[in-house]
Amino acid sequence: MKGLWWKLLAMALLLYVFIAGLLVPLKPGIRAAEPRVIAAGTTATLTIEGYNTGFSESENVRAWLRLGTPGSGEAVDTAIRATSIRVLDAQRVEASFSVPEHLPNVRGGSRATLIVDDPGEGAFVLPSAIQLTPKPDLAGPPDLTPWLTRVRDLSETPGMTYPYRGLLGETIRNQYFHVSLWFALMLLMLAAAVYAVRYLLSGDPALDRKSEALTRVGLGFGVLGLLTGMVWANYTWGKPWSGDVKQNMTAIALLIYAAYFVLRGSLNSEQQAARVGGAYNVFAFLMLVPLLYVIPRMRDSLHPGAGGNPGFGGEDLDNTMRMVFYPGIIGMTLLGLWIAQLWWRSAALRARLQERARRL
Amino acid sequence: MLDSLTGLFLQAQPDFMRSVGKIYVVVAVIVIVLLGLFAFVWLVDRRLTKLEDQINDHE
Repeated sequence: MKGLWWKLLAMALLLYVFIAGLLVPLKPGIRAAEPRVIAAGTTATLTIEGYNTGFSESENVRAWLRLGTPGSGEAVDTAIRATSIRVLDAQRVEASFSVPEHLPNVRGGSRATLIVDDPGEGAFVLPSAIQLTPKPDLAGPPDLTPWLTRVRDLSETPGMTYPYRGLLGETIRNQYFHVSLWFALMLLMLAAAVYAVRYLLSGDPALDRKSEALTRVGLGFGVLGLLTGMVWANYTWGKPWSGDVKQNMTAIALLIYAAYFVLRGSLNSEQQAARVGGAYNVFAFLMLVPLLYVIPRMRDSLHPGAGGNPGFGGEDLDNTMRMVFYPGIIGMTLLGLWIAQLWWRSAALRARLQERARRL
Repeated sequence: MLDSLTGLFLQAQPDFMRSVGKIYVVVAVIVIVLLGLFAFVWLVDRRLTKLEDQINDHE
């Protein structure tokens, strides 16, 4: 069967994305640690609540409070190690810390990062977890030797895992179901614009039907992307619509594409609709790129890749995630192409029927 | 000590959508995508029915 291979590929890729996207576990991480504030010069017992952890042997677990590198240029960490660890259950440990009277003067203030290491499970980090409050009226020169503890010999999490990113939790998997939808939309709209240009150059109605069908599916993907994004946003940013610059710009971009169909529908002659629609489609695509990928990057946005946020990469998209994310983009694009093809084939049938009706 | 434990416990009792590391948010997203794909299939189906009717009218 000629022309079938890419449809099979779409199914295989999406099947893989759904299975791997849902079944691969997250790395263990730290969900919370209490108390959040410890005064210098006191001993405190932190209750640490893990996520996906499997704490068992108290002797093996290690924990540190790390303040970062001092500003003086010394290439040493400033950290203290927990004096004792007690495993409560697989999800929770208690770690006792004796915080010295003197706090080192480091960049980033006195918010300590909590690091827990469990061999066989990996090392987990809760950034800026604990506020250390300095002791007032300290006499004598600062004694910082207890802080010269090095955090080292951290364990690796075995097997295939996705990053644990605090607030995101399991929703980091939406990278495959929400983000890949937007990438697929971009590729579908690019194809639609290319077909529109080719139609304008040749006047072949088959090319216009392809352009129209691809735009229709692209717009559908956009609506799905917006809806899925609103659900995701509700549980990460607190509300479905925060007026985030990327949310607003995508809404504008989708309205521009919605107007494409209004415009076509308002023109009586099919040839006229195809011509005006084709020209408008190219314009819409030229607007889509800055609206989705340029303006949001220039402003502060909740989305990654904007303002001070890093783009994709680093902790948000590691190599394990790429192994699912990229097939997800290809699979979604091919599925969109498939649906668009069904649409333009039925459009071609309708055109032939109308042609025949005219002749009879 | 007990207070902080209760605090942790309360924190660990999220609503349904936030339970199990917010996995149900992923479920909701997948359900929306599936519903959208169903809508496409529905539209293509309706269009083909119209074409079939047109052909039947001609015969």
